[in-house]
Amino acid sequence: MKLKHLSIFAALVCIANLNSCQTISFAPPPLVTPELARAAGRQQVDLATLREGRSLFVSRCIECHTLPTASRFTESDWPCIVHEMGGRANLKPVERDAVLAYILAVHSQSR
Amino acid sequence: MVKSFRLLCIFILASWPLICFGGVRHFTFLYEAPTSAPESLELETWATWKRMTGPDRSDAVDFRYELEYGVTDKLQLGVYLADWFYENQREHSGFAYSDSAIELIYNLTNPVDDPIGLSIYGESKAGDRLIELESKLIAQKNFGALILSYNATLEAVWEGRSLQEREGEFQQAFGASYELSPRLSAGIELLHEFVFSQWRDDKKIRNLFVGPNVSYRRGDWFVTVTALAQPTNTIDEPDFQVRTIFGIGL
Repeated sequence: MKLKHLSIFAALVCIANLNSCQTISFAPPPLVTPELARAAGRQQVDLATLREGRSLFVSRCIECHTLPTASRFTESDWPCIVHEMGGRANLKPVERDAVLAYILAVHSQSR
Repeated sequence: MVKSFRLLCIFILASWPLICFGGVRHFTFLYEAPTSAPESLELETWATWKRMTGPDRSDAVDFRYELEYGVTDKLQLGVYLADWFYENQREHSGFAYSDSAIELIYNLTNPVDDPIGLSIYGESKAGDRLIELESKLIAQKNFGALILSYNATLEAVWEGRSLQEREGEFQQAFGASYELSPRLSAGIELLHEFVFSQWRDDKKIRNLFVGPNVSYRRGDWFVTVTALAQPTNTIDEPDFQVRTIFGIGL
């Protein structure tokens, strides 16, 4: 009986925590636009690659975790993160490059 | 002969090292809309402890070993190698094989980009005097670090000596999980069951289960635990249950 009450109490605490959280971003990752491609200028990537990168980002990364904002990590951290995570998501090297290109473009645009 | 084979299977599966990722589960009683990455293989070990209180107090632990394979980027195949259980009742206690099953999940829409992420699920189960068919609609929406999931499940069971005992069940489940850090998530799960014994609703059996969950992931493995209590008072259902799923990429 104690376990039953403890479990219901813990569930209510979880709801209260979720409700009190003010940092939830409801917006999905930015769409690929010519402006985003220009922001990725240094990378020399085309719109098709960025679109593929975004598509993979929103479909394959959510198999394990929610999507982080590009500004969560530094530009120099992202290549290592994408390389490591890409292995777990079974991404091919060209797919990892596309995801990284998209994230870095969003990162550049948000600066 | 059959008994020896079952014992051998139980021994092999029980001694299987817990080393064995297609994706992380944020819930244990609910499914999520995204399917496994294509060509990924994952082994999941499930353990569910159930406590029934009251005059017929008993404990049971259900075990499941599941292999999940990403067939395409939209289709996932799951094989329940063997479901078995340990039961500790007043009259008897012991291990027994329950069933094996196969499941397919097809993803229709994305929970981030589309207004709602949808997947359909089908499962066929067969065991000792048991046949079970289950279909599920999985809905999910991701709001940043928050995952909301809803499952509507329809289940048909035939069991008994000549499979004459029939039961239907409609279950709706709701879950919320919030990512506290890249490795840790916590949330809540709620199950609402409508049981139709002999395909009839005479007994008006309604069960409700609610409780918290926590999920931790690192490298190629994850572990998710949910503890559910039953606020309703259905005698045949556990008053308290804890499910743990450990998954590892192969």
